[in-house]
Amino acid sequence: MLLAFYGERQMLRLQNVSKRFGEIVAVDGLSLEVREGEIFGLLGPNGAGKTTTVNMAVGILKPDSGSIEIAGIGPPSRPEARRKVGIAPQSLAIYQSLSAQENLEFFGGLYGLGGKHLRERVVWCLAFVGLNERKNSLVKTFSGGMRRRLNLAAALVHDPPLLLLDEPTVGVDAQSRNAIFEKIEELRKDGKTIIYTTHYIEEAQRLCDRVGILDHGKLLALDTVQNLIAAYAGKTTIIAEGTEGRVEVETTDPIGELARLHARGKLTSLNIKNPDLEQVFLNLTGRHLRDV
Amino acid sequence: MNAIINLALKDLRLLFRDRMGFFFTLVWPLGLAILFGTMYGGNRADQPRAVPVIVVDEDGSAESQAFVDSLIAAPEIEVSLASRSEAIERVRKAKAVAFIALKQGFGEASQNPFWGEPPAVEIGADPSRGPETAMVEGILMKYASRRIQDFFTDQSAQREELERARKELRTAENIPERLRSNLENLFASLEGVLSDESYLASDTTESEEGFSGFQPLTITRSEISIRRRGPSSAYAISFPLGSMWALLAVSATFAVSIVHERTRGTLFRLLAAPMTIYHILAGKALACFTAATVVVAGLFCLGYFAFGVVPNSILLLALAIVSSSIAFVGVMMLLSTLGKTEQSVGGASWGILIILSMFGGGMIPLFIMPGWMRTLGTVSPIKWAILAIEGAVWRQFSPLEMLRPCLILIAIGAGSFLAGVHRKLT
Repeated sequence: MLLAFYGERQMLRLQNVSKRFGEIVAVDGLSLEVREGEIFGLLGPNGAGKTTTVNMAVGILKPDSGSIEIAGIGPPSRPEARRKVGIAPQSLAIYQSLSAQENLEFFGGLYGLGGKHLRERVVWCLAFVGLNERKNSLVKTFSGGMRRRLNLAAALVHDPPLLLLDEPTVGVDAQSRNAIFEKIEELRKDGKTIIYTTHYIEEAQRLCDRVGILDHGKLLALDTVQNLIAAYAGKTTIIAEGTEGRVEVETTDPIGELARLHARGKLTSLNIKNPDLEQVFLNLTGRHLRDV
Repeated sequence: MNAIINLALKDLRLLFRDRMGFFFTLVWPLGLAILFGTMYGGNRADQPRAVPVIVVDEDGSAESQAFVDSLIAAPEIEVSLASRSEAIERVRKAKAVAFIALKQGFGEASQNPFWGEPPAVEIGADPSRGPETAMVEGILMKYASRRIQDFFTDQSAQREELERARKELRTAENIPERLRSNLENLFASLEGVLSDESYLASDTTESEEGFSGFQPLTITRSEISIRRRGPSSAYAISFPLGSMWALLAVSATFAVSIVHERTRGTLFRLLAAPMTIYHILAGKALACFTAATVVVAGLFCLGYFAFGVVPNSILLLALAIVSSSIAFVGVMMLLSTLGKTEQSVGGASWGILIILSMFGGGMIPLFIMPGWMRTLGTVSPIKWAILAIEGAVWRQFSPLEMLRPCLILIAIGAGSFLAGVHRKLT
């Protein structure tokens, strides 16, 4: 039913894509499709293959096998396909010794923008990320949050239909994070397709229409957040204390279970833990540390 | 092409916005050029320690050959032998300060130190080389006097010569009787002196005074206009050297900037843009080339207006600057592959560039280096860049003469650029 909100056009399609680095298999036969207008979350523990997948999607890495297609145009090695993609890398890919405006003009120029169109796009981007007042300041004078917003603006300056946002909220305060969420939601309303990789599961749960969970280079699950929770998160946990003592129950019918507990006696405290995407993530990828 | 220009403009903006980069790229080389130019101001920096002269022996006698040998052994001059026409041409090309022609009759005149004209010598030099010519004249007089002095301290030679002179005097017909009589008296006195044992035992150094005022040679001068090749001032030498430091700074700065793009993450965004790695490298190369040419040209503009460094040929100077910039763009690309961090590439770049500069004459002029260092310097682009720039500024290179250093610079640039790109791609 949810799919009805999205276009049928596939903005990114990976078919059986694999990539090795020596003995290490970074991506192993990955297939997925990102539909026009959706926010697609790509989750996975460290070393799962997210960055390799993103790098292949934008053409920085070439897959060993399989195929990648952008917006029905062709592989990302084609300049026309690359023009459809904007990327905001996790590490701030902006020049510290240029002003915000100069950065945007430079990156816009790389995508063939010029003249009035470039100036308009730069003005729009600066306004969109709330940096108009500081457009002439050098980036090195910016706060972390301002740099993050400019990093996002640099991905938008050529008005791409497909955006790849790699950990866009790393190292920013709560206000900036919230501002970035709002901008991403605005972009979705404008019809942009967004691929969002993050370590913050709650961000994916808040923003993403569909989520793919990746580990060891393989796609473990891909569906809407609700469906993933229903399928992999387990049951709701109810912890209740009352005249009958402390009770902890896992249930698929929390309301019925609450009614039953209430019928047994008076409850003095109640804690209900709903299953969430983090639970899905941990259930699928395990709880052991990956980078030790 | 737009993408390459866009990349280059961005890099140039970053370069000139970086205060330290700007200082080492323009201010430092300019400071060096002014400092060294001032330090050596007024002195001809190419002054040789031994004056190069060409000797033309037009007499071909044993006496003239002996005089030539004494000149060859003289430490004050560097003698080479040639015909008159060849000698004139070499003086004209400023390959030698002067030529010394031992005229016909030199040997015969040398045999008659007591009468007749002294041996004749001609010095051919450019009128502007007055001090050097006077010095050569003094050196000739010194060695001619020494020959006479040697003659008077060799008693057996004196006796032989006295006897020979007396015989000639007896047979000579065109000598006035009064002179004949005076000479006979002189020879008789000399014979008496030579027979005196106390004279023979005396300190010969005292006898040197007896030759004061004696004219052992007749020297005439002839003028040969040289084609000027010397620097107009010490700044004409220090500005080419200063421009080398500009080229070194630009290439090291851009080598580091390539690594900087990767470590700061901007390379990722560049690679994701609709262009290839070749565009990115070409953008860097264009920026480096532009910075190098602009900075070196700016340096020479300043040299022209503020320090009187007037190039012999603006066009050839432009060619030299362009060729040198191409060479250092290639060097920059190769240097950028020497490490993975700014620190490692920066350190390695400056280490290598300083050695290239040292052997290439970027620190001290090549002509005062030992021979082995000059030979080693042949592999340094600095040597060829200095030669090309000096060729246009004061060496008066013809376009043909400029070809060699310029082609070598372009070859160095192309070779190291390709090697750098290859290393990057692999």
